Amino acid sequence: MLEVEHLSVKYDSFVAVRDLSFAVTERQWLMIVGPNGAGKSTILNAISQGVPYTGTIRFDKADLKKTDARTRARAIGALAQNHYVSYAFSVEEIVRLGRYAHRSGLFSSHEEDDAAVEEALEMTGMTGLRRQSLLTLSGGELQRAFLAQVFAQSPRLLLLDEPTNHLDLVYQKQVFALIAEWLKTPGRAVISVVHDLSLAKAYGTNALLLHHGCKVAYGETGAVMCPRHLNEVYGMDVAEWMQTMLGQWKDG
Amino acid sequence: MNGTKKMLAIMIAMTLLTAVFVWGCQPAKNEQPAEPAQASEETAKNPVAEEAPSEEADQPAEAFVTLTDMMGHEITLEKPAERIVALSAADCEIVYALGAGDLLVGRGEYCDYPAEIFAVPSVESGGNTNVEQILALTPDVVVMSSMAQSEEQVKQLEDAGVAVAVSNAADIAGVYTSIEMLGKLLGRDAEAESIVSSMKSAFAEIEANPLDGTQSVYFEVSPLQWGLWTAGTGTFMNEIAEMMGLRNCFDDVQGWAEISEEQVLERNPDIIVTITMYFGEGPTPVEEILSRPGWENVTAVKNNAILNLQNNELSRPAPRLADGAKMLYDFVIESDQALAPAA
Amino acid sequence: MKRGGERFYGWIYAVFALVTLCVFFACICLGSVWVPLKDIGRVILDAVRSIPSAPEYSLARSVMITVRIPRVLCVALVGASLALAGAAMQGLLKNPLADGSTIGVSSGASLGAVIAIAFDITFPGLPFAGTMIMAILFALFSLLLILGLAYRLDCSLSTNTIILIGVIFSMFASSIMSIVITFASDRLRSITFWTMGSLQGSNYRNAAVLGATLAVCGTVLFLHARELNAFAVGEDNARQIGVNVRRVRLTVLIMVSCLIGVCVSIGGTISFVGLVTPHMVRMIVGPNHKRLLPASLFSGAVFLMLADLVARTILIPRELPIGVVTSIIGAVVFVYIYYRSRRR
Repeated sequence: MLEVEHLSVKYDSFVAVRDLSFAVTERQWLMIVGPNGAGKSTILNAISQGVPYTGTIRFDKADLKKTDARTRARAIGALAQNHYVSYAFSVEEIVRLGRYAHRSGLFSSHEEDDAAVEEALEMTGMTGLRRQSLLTLSGGELQRAFLAQVFAQSPRLLLLDEPTNHLDLVYQKQVFALIAEWLKTPGRAVISVVHDLSLAKAYGTNALLLHHGCKVAYGETGAVMCPRHLNEVYGMDVAEWMQTMLGQWKDG
Repeated sequence: MNGTKKMLAIMIAMTLLTAVFVWGCQPAKNEQPAEPAQASEETAKNPVAEEAPSEEADQPAEAFVTLTDMMGHEITLEKPAERIVALSAADCEIVYALGAGDLLVGRGEYCDYPAEIFAVPSVESGGNTNVEQILALTPDVVVMSSMAQSEEQVKQLEDAGVAVAVSNAADIAGVYTSIEMLGKLLGRDAEAESIVSSMKSAFAEIEANPLDGTQSVYFEVSPLQWGLWTAGTGTFMNEIAEMMGLRNCFDDVQGWAEISEEQVLERNPDIIVTITMYFGEGPTPVEEILSRPGWENVTAVKNNAILNLQNNELSRPAPRLADGAKMLYDFVIESDQALAPAA
Repeated sequence: MKRGGERFYGWIYAVFALVTLCVFFACICLGSVWVPLKDIGRVILDAVRSIPSAPEYSLARSVMITVRIPRVLCVALVGASLALAGAAMQGLLKNPLADGSTIGVSSGASLGAVIAIAFDITFPGLPFAGTMIMAILFALFSLLLILGLAYRLDCSLSTNTIILIGVIFSMFASSIMSIVITFASDRLRSITFWTMGSLQGSNYRNAAVLGATLAVCGTVLFLHARELNAFAVGEDNARQIGVNVRRVRLTVLIMVSCLIGVCVSIGGTISFVGLVTPHMVRMIVGPNHKRLLPASLFSGAVFLMLADLVARTILIPRELPIGVVTSIIGAVVFVYIYYRSRRR
């Protein structure tokens, strides 16, 4: 579905991503992991054409650089980690914006859009809050509203940039469960950047481990996230740390 | 007096609004650091200055010039000024009228009459007045107007050892006073006297045969394109109109003011005086007024009784006020005569 | 009903239009010179049928047909244009304090007009259009300069870069203006009067130019309402839902420049309309540009017509510069809005 070849991204003289190649196929959930500054988010930005890059990124064989914004948006949706809202849009208005790429003319039918919006609201449990202003939502609700937007966009590939970074555990669980549910429909795939290695291990089918913009390991999650790779990249005994952390809960 | 203050207030408001400080009584920029240096420079020159009195020591005491300027400051000069800087356009005109143009070593940047004045070095004036720039010209006396300059500026110059005379003419009598003041400063009392008396006789001539008081005049200070501004009471234009028996149709307005186009149409002036300058392209100010839609029923437009005075004849407290008054008076008489056979 | 969030209801349109019309007629009936209502009707009818009015109505006809109606028309159109431009900018830059003037276009347009006055630039066949053409050219020119510079610094043309360069450009333009004024001190009076902003002397030709600009730019902006919504949510969000970010931004900025350039050339710099009107409107109809743009259009017209009415009638026979009235009202409203939004 998505093929990335020789991707490099430079910010001025700093190379954020160096000569990276990978591919995502249907039903895969690719976890991009690595320490801070490894270039994880940059990859997502490059895929959604938000930063200039060299190399090629193809979706269904079509070069994304030459694809127009709407066509791209119908194929790929992205969810940012933070949302800074200035105006009091309602949840429904935001979700409806997700349909932007699907409406070409002024007079096109709205029925399909309405159905997609309803479904997205339903899925994310935002139906009851549809008239609520974004400015009054909590962080978790806000993230769910934008998740509904990207669901309404009905892309085939979903890009998630640390989607639960600022959310408490309840929302973390909710959001990941929702995405896993979404992925069950055939023809879909997810790429996400995750900090939490446990989450990556739990939900990912594949993983890409980065260090200083370079690929360290790439393949099935289990093979990539082995102690040898992780210890090398993070410079510490990752597995032992995780176990210590979990060990605290055993007595409870 | 009140009128000029108002006019000044409007001008300040305008400059504040536009943030283009051209006029305005903005306190002078802080030039404290420069000032002591200037002062010491001045004292350094003192030996030269001291020589002069010793030279004149045996001359009679009358050689000293003592006068009170129009703001009540006492000024004493050891001899009539030989190097003068004048910041206001009106004062410059007076200096030339006194035949002392060659004594002018500096002029305010907006002084533009007579044409020879452009050869004199220009200095910044108004809110931008630069004390250093003026001191560099080593004047014996600086003449400035109370309208455009501030007390602080006067003080700065005086502290630097330069005599300052402030002119403050709000009406024609005030113009006489400032002519006399400048005459005294420059040692040309006789010339000043003759200018004043010729102005007085020009005005007297007009006053002797006033118009019948039925005709009204509208003074246009700014053309329609930029919003109509007129001169109301407390302006020289109004004073001169009254003197010749013309009614200023905006005599209910104080000073310079923006007025409504509708009001001009309603008040239907018999004479229009525009002081818009013409730069040689497009319609002349008179043609422009004649072509205004909706103005075709205004008497002055119907009779083509529009006078264009382009050179500030009627807006500056200077000797040319008499010329401007004469031009307006003659214009009214002429257009009356032109109409008479038609009637 | 289900799609209420997206649509601009017909009845809201009707209410806004009706209010605008009422204010328009009120502003036509009131003025420096009192013209009785029946005379107004009479001269308008005469003018429409293009027959000369009876001599006793000649003053009423001059005042109404050649002075007041074109002026109120121009005021309404300028208000509508500025408010629309402001609403579009606030959406595009996701900044409720943005305005066409924020990106430096107003200053650029003013500079153009001042240069036209100072050096007496006229265009063959259009003796009076010198300032207008120069203002529009300079609005566009400054826009290109600002965008070019912004693009150099930051190829994604981010909002902050544009606002920053806009502020710098405004300062640059006003210092150039001071220099121009120094070189053309003989035109000082004209320039000063011009910068005060006056809609006196507006004629039907001005109204036609304003109307045409508003029709074209307004239509384009209305067609970009959804894109503006996306920008108002966030530029990254707009990109990810499929908005062609750069093309839309360029289009909106050009439309805004044209609107502002024409307004500045006809009415001088009139502050606060573009800033305050969309703000107040947003409190009533919400931030959705499908409602916000048309509502701002009408409200801007109403706001400026009322401000102009005050300017024309508060000191009869004098007039206040309209910019003074809008600034006074605008500043108070602005502080109020700011205070309220901070308390929330």
